Amino acid sequence: MKYSTLRIISIVSAALFLASCGSEEPAMPELSFEEALQEQLIQAKSGDVITIPAGMHEITRSLSLNVSGVTIAGAGIDESILSFKNQVQGAEGLLINANDFVIRDLAIEDTIGDALKINQSTNVQILRVRTEWTNGPLSTNGAYGIYPVQSNNVLIDEAVAIGASDAGIYVGQSSQIIVRNSRAEYNVAGIEVENSTFADVHDNVATNNTGGILVFDLPNLPVQGGRNTRVYNNQIFANNTRNFAPEGNIVASVPAGTGLMIMANDNIEVFENNFEDNNSANVLIVSYLINEIPITDPNYDPFPEAIYLHNNQYTGGGESPDSEPLALLQAATGQPLPDIIWDGMLAEGKAAADALCFSEAADTSFVSLDAINGFAQPSFDSAVHDCVLPRLTEISMSLSSQ
Amino acid sequence: MTDIYLRSVFLSVCLLLLAACSESPPVFHDIERPVRLSDWQLFAVGANELIPSESSVVFRPNNPLFTDYSHKLRTLWIPQSLQAEIVNDEINYPVGSVLSKTFYYPRSSSTMLSKVADSGLQKINLNENQLIETRLLVRKSDGWEAFPYVWNDEQTEAFLRVAGASKQISLFDQDSTQTTDFTYFVPNENQCAGCHTTVHPDGDMRPLGALFSQLNTGSREIDAGIASPLEQMVQNRWLNDEEIFPLSVSWQDPSASLDDRALAYLNMQCGHCHNPEGAADTSGLILDSSQTLAINRGVCKPPVAAGGGAGDLRYAIVPGQPEESILLYRMRSDKPDEMMPELGRSLIHSGGVDLISRWIAKMPGAC
Repeated sequence: MKYSTLRIISIVSAALFLASCGSEEPAMPELSFEEALQEQLIQAKSGDVITIPAGMHEITRSLSLNVSGVTIAGAGIDESILSFKNQVQGAEGLLINANDFVIRDLAIEDTIGDALKINQSTNVQILRVRTEWTNGPLSTNGAYGIYPVQSNNVLIDEAVAIGASDAGIYVGQSSQIIVRNSRAEYNVAGIEVENSTFADVHDNVATNNTGGILVFDLPNLPVQGGRNTRVYNNQIFANNTRNFAPEGNIVASVPAGTGLMIMANDNIEVFENNFEDNNSANVLIVSYLINEIPITDPNYDPFPEAIYLHNNQYTGGGESPDSEPLALLQAATGQPLPDIIWDGMLAEGKAAADALCFSEAADTSFVSLDAINGFAQPSFDSAVHDCVLPRLTEISMSLSSQ
Repeated sequence: MTDIYLRSVFLSVCLLLLAACSESPPVFHDIERPVRLSDWQLFAVGANELIPSESSVVFRPNNPLFTDYSHKLRTLWIPQSLQAEIVNDEINYPVGSVLSKTFYYPRSSSTMLSKVADSGLQKINLNENQLIETRLLVRKSDGWEAFPYVWNDEQTEAFLRVAGASKQISLFDQDSTQTTDFTYFVPNENQCAGCHTTVHPDGDMRPLGALFSQLNTGSREIDAGIASPLEQMVQNRWLNDEEIFPLSVSWQDPSASLDDRALAYLNMQCGHCHNPEGAADTSGLILDSSQTLAINRGVCKPPVAAGGGAGDLRYAIVPGQPEESILLYRMRSDKPDEMMPELGRSLIHSGGVDLISRWIAKMPGAC
């Protein structure tokens, strides 16, 4: 509407210009689908719904939205596809810096970097969105599929993330998060919650990733102290894809065959998940110290504490670990590795039960690796972890329906 | 003399247009978003020349951003009778101020453009140069706003391209006799804000080049005989002359220390995002010279979300080892998902790479 008004004004002024000067009027350039879409995103007003029609739309440059209160709606997760196969500019497919944002019913494919990045935004809904690299798990794929960072009140529902060379669904440095009913497959990390607080990750399927679900806290970031995350009722099975992350990135250290990995986070409740056939470890709980990277951040706590596991199901797994200490342990015992593996590292003055409690079925197996002493004396005794922690509260957020 | 001659040529080509435009100062549009650059009346586009309005000040900051070896003609205009103020050691431009930056390349032949150092032209000969785009940064009532205008091939008008544009360019390097073909990208309006919004996400846009410290350029050889932009601003009564003008180090100043030059370079090329409140603070890598802790400046800092941009390397800066440093890897890359800065260039800035490489090589310590 605005565009056509501008057009009329420019035609009128062109006519005046011609009349006054007598020279030929320079012509306005035509816009491609991509340029028209980006122009719509820039000129959007709060309350606008920008529709992506069904079909495969080729996009060559990053798209971005900075206007709050806007919905981007496609015709379906497999119907409206923004294909970045021939992307030539921009570090992501779609970059959002906007509050009260909804994106739904579309796919973002083959971006050169991250697919959907949402930076410093509040009230974000990502509904039935698929991010995918269509050539399978390659280290040349972009790092993150769905990537809210430093954002609050984030709902990711019925999303699909495939092929990310870091994390399929990654929530970083954020607070008040729900990731549910989603599927993460063939990523290095299926779903990752990093340096974040108050997250519910539930009813998701994580399979064929290197690691199914990761809950991490890292040093030297403006937002840290990751805690209060619930991981429940997820199907976390056969996450045995080789690690194809580029070196240097923290997820490059995740062993292939990891179901759930918790690093340095506190207050994590893990319950009613189904862990199956994750061939390094169904559950791996470690300190940041395991990375052997010097810690220079005085405010950083590298130890996981108050991790509470209960009522989970464990089937198979631990049969071909992709980590030297784990492989040595398996060779020494001649058995598949236990269901729950903890590196055993504790902050000074803390007891084992401060780090980890579980109330699991009697046949659930456990090992504490004694990593601090070079894995010298692993302990299979779970008695000291037989404790109960207060349940964490459900995350609730009121977001407008779009 | 030449000026007068060209003006008379211009007159003979389009007398009416000249009568309408040449004596008219620039026009500030507060509400409108003119589709045509000419509506701002910042330039006289003559038969053969792009001439900034006489009411404007032409300037070059001490540390220009690198943009694929393009040359840049920058103008600053403040409406008559208005004044800029100095607030917190920075220039506070009044509503109505218009900054422009015209990107162009000298021609090498009919199809090729030339990669040579920017000679700092005060006006652009259109036979010898090819105009690409003119970006405006306009101080409106509700803050700065950016407008990317793209020149047509005839160089008769530039049109507002809200969504940006791209152009295929063949760039001939006289020294190496090599030709580089690349796609030059005009940023879209959001991408303008991506760099000019230095406090993310709620801060206002602000100028990056027309800063107090960047405009005190009087001692530079390239500007010999020309009053510095600050002096010109005082002459135009846009600034009071009692201000004490600070001076920032130019990364190209051979008399400055390697440390100062490297920090000046990183601050200008990276600091608009990599500052404690910038869009890239998510990485924990802060390059605006504000940090005292070495790891926050990148020394022995592991990457956070760099993906392939980490180049299979472990730290942003490894003292003494430029080849092991992600910072340099990303400066040396021209792949969109790896390179830094993410926007504003398609080519690698060899001068910057040389400087940062030498700086890291001489840095003491180890990881």
